[in-house]
Amino acid sequence: MHLWHNFSAIWRSVPFLLKGLPITLSLTGLSGLIGVGIGLILALMKISKNKLFRWFALVYIDLFRGTPLLLQIMIVYYALPLNIDAFSAAIIALSLNAAAYLAEIFRAGIESISKGQMEAALSVGMNYSQAMRYIIIPQTIRRIIPPTTNEIVALLKDTSLVMVIGLAEIVYKAKQIGSATANFLTPLMFAAILYLIFTIPLTRYAEKLERRFSRGD
Amino acid sequence: MIKTVNLTKKFGDLLVFEDVNFKIEKGERVVIIGPSGAGKSTFIRCLNFIEFPTSGDVYFDGKKIDENSNLPAIRQRIGMVFQHFNLFPHLTALQNVTIAPIKVKRMSEKEANEIAMYYLSKVGLADRINHYPSQLSGGEKQRIAIARALAMKPDLMLFDEPTSALDVEMVKEVLDTIEKLAFEGMTMIVVTHEISFAKEVADRLIFMADHHIVEENTPSEFFAHPRTERAKKFLNKIVNI
Repeated sequence: MHLWHNFSAIWRSVPFLLKGLPITLSLTGLSGLIGVGIGLILALMKISKNKLFRWFALVYIDLFRGTPLLLQIMIVYYALPLNIDAFSAAIIALSLNAAAYLAEIFRAGIESISKGQMEAALSVGMNYSQAMRYIIIPQTIRRIIPPTTNEIVALLKDTSLVMVIGLAEIVYKAKQIGSATANFLTPLMFAAILYLIFTIPLTRYAEKLERRFSRGD
Repeated sequence: MIKTVNLTKKFGDLLVFEDVNFKIEKGERVVIIGPSGAGKSTFIRCLNFIEFPTSGDVYFDGKKIDENSNLPAIRQRIGMVFQHFNLFPHLTALQNVTIAPIKVKRMSEKEANEIAMYYLSKVGLADRINHYPSQLSGGEKQRIAIARALAMKPDLMLFDEPTSALDVEMVKEVLDTIEKLAFEGMTMIVVTHEISFAKEVADRLIFMADHHIVEENTPSEFFAHPRTERAKKFLNKIVNI
């Protein structure tokens, strides 16, 4: 009886929980997009001939992969004199962090294309940029899409950390419902299901692409 | 057509070849043989500047080429076939052959397809045009690679150990294709270990060992009467001359 009472209360609060969804998804989408951009630049810096670029990329990647994302979010929001709202701070921290992981994926992707591909492209008279555009980059993209998708899945889950700076995403909402109804199990489980609705299809999609591309090689 | 003067290549401190003076005229077929590590492959890769020589000069049609030359324009006139084929795995056989004519020579797709079909038929693979490299055998891949190089209508073809990575039963189809080209008058430099092919095809044979050109002769003379000890030693190690 007690449980049932709680359940109907939960059921009534489902719309409230769902209000956290747009925040979770927009954080994932925006940070993912910005992260891909910065990650690509970092990857190119890491393989460039310029020592300063290489050094910068190395330090950046070490810093962002070597410290907790939670700490990075708090530093951006509380410690840096930026005077921005929590959503912007979250976007900054999440994109900078994702960029570090994506940069390594992109670098590995570019380096995995054998030297012979560039040589063959040059040997038929292509210049460097034609070789990159028609031969190297199309092959790189096929290889990095699956690990990039996995990275976006990780990012989607990591957005839950922004609750520490008061952003009302899914987990934050679930906790609020839990406090109000004195039942944490149901809303937290519901939040978990909400994540799985997105993460499982994305993961399957990445696996499918991975299989398809490994066949094409 | 191509000439080198004191051409030298080092990788750091490691000497690959030194003071190579070489010349090939239009219509000539030159085979380079020699033990592994003699610098044969690196030498022909320096001719189209896929590898940059450390010192010495390369002349193409009388003009000196270096890293500041218009290398893409020069490379269009020098076809290259690699030991490991280096086909573009994301493109079909047909697209492998048409991509350079379309993107580099700005040819229409229709025109490029016609040229590609001509050369793909010539290498006997007109029925494989829509296959991806992963769906082809090694011999087929190498013949596609030959068609890819020919589609740019080069004046000179470089073959870098074209059969070394092939299963034994596929060597012949590739050598036959190269021989056919040779008899049509294509100027070519072939680095190979195939002795009978060398005898059959080459006007001139170059024996490279220990970073130098050690001997230069007609194939029949070279195999029958090697002049240097180094060549004798090498030939003694090869069976089935």
